[in-house]
Amino acid sequence: MAEVEDEILVRRVAAGDGRALGTLYDRYAGLVYGAGTRYLGDRGLAEDLVQDVFASVWRNAGGFDPSRAGFGTWVYRITRNRATDLIRRRKARVRTVDGGSLPEPGEPDPAGDLARGFDVAAALSRLTPAHRELLVLAYFDGLSQREISTRTDTPLGTVKSRTTAAMRALRDILSDPDGSPTDE
Amino acid sequence: MSEHPETRDLLGPFVMDDLDPAEERTVREHLEGCAPCREEAESLRLAHERLTEFAAVVKTPPPHLKDRALGGMPRPAARRSVRSVPPSWLVAAAAALLVALGVAYGTSLLGGGEVAAATLEPTGRAPEAGGELSVESPTANSQARLEVWNLPRLEEGEYYELWFGKGEGRISAGTFTVDERGNVTSYMHITQETVGDYQRVGITLEKFPAEPRMDSARVVLGGELRES
Repeated sequence: MAEVEDEILVRRVAAGDGRALGTLYDRYAGLVYGAGTRYLGDRGLAEDLVQDVFASVWRNAGGFDPSRAGFGTWVYRITRNRATDLIRRRKARVRTVDGGSLPEPGEPDPAGDLARGFDVAAALSRLTPAHRELLVLAYFDGLSQREISTRTDTPLGTVKSRTTAAMRALRDILSDPDGSPTDE
Repeated sequence: MSEHPETRDLLGPFVMDDLDPAEERTVREHLEGCAPCREEAESLRLAHERLTEFAAVVKTPPPHLKDRALGGMPRPAARRSVRSVPPSWLVAAAAALLVALGVAYGTSLLGGGEVAAATLEPTGRAPEAGGELSVESPTANSQARLEVWNLPRLEEGEYYELWFGKGEGRISAGTFTVDERGNVTSYMHITQETVGDYQRVGITLEKFPAEPRMDSARVVLGGELRES
């Protein structure tokens, strides 16, 4: 079965559970940090963004309403808003401190790929650990099917069929975010 | 489809372009004559593209960031105790404090490894608001943690700006917005050179595209930095 869903973790965060926040951090911080480096163009500001976003999750978890949007959508909006704040802050700092010559940053996520990224992150969190591990090894660690077979000591044919099943489960969640997670 | 289980099991690695040549040829030949499997392959290709796009955005944060991001969180908003509205004399005093921003002050509070803090008191523009600012780890690149509550909700194009003041001088430390309850916790990097011996702190309500100004008419919160 899938691990604890994001929405349950947010309820625990609202009750003051720091470990639940840590789990959400593990699931989403890479995406928030990646968004920061991409749209803010500065690793320091990207770290600020991660910190701001999770501080906001912590403070506002009690107001999260899963009937209005999933956690991925919610944290995406927080990320986008905080990134906009940081862009303004950088403009203000440049203007007031040294008269600035930094290039004008654009609005975060103009093409919507960050929004889609949060959807994928939320969908991954609803997969079974075995399915998620396969996709992480393939897409984030860049391993081939054969390398995954070696790494996990699993027959190559099994890796291929499970990878297909994992992608199918992810596809189903993406197409029906409110449906029950599949466990093929 | 159940009549093509072996081929269907290979469709994931197929769209990932990670099959042996012989397997890939077999799948391609099958797809030419099987519309349901072609449809299945196309839907998995979309999942593959989403995963590829996602992987391109994600970056592993530095290990120290988790402690920094999650350490020392205040209580969640839902469990925050209600803060009382400050007495009117305090509001008036705070307003006067910010109007008098031009008064010169003495030595820096931020040198020598000290940590500074300011309690932000409301003006008449935001009588129920409050805030706290703390300057942490005053090294070459200090971090300021700003927490505010009950600020007025922002309209389209509006934002808040944090200022440090000294004598006639004032400098922006950044901008921020608040949630629907007027609350936010924000972390800002401020260089020691930037803050230096600035002793006063103010927050103004600004509206884009007007140029932000540390104008007493715009101040919603203000305070004085103190050693802590």
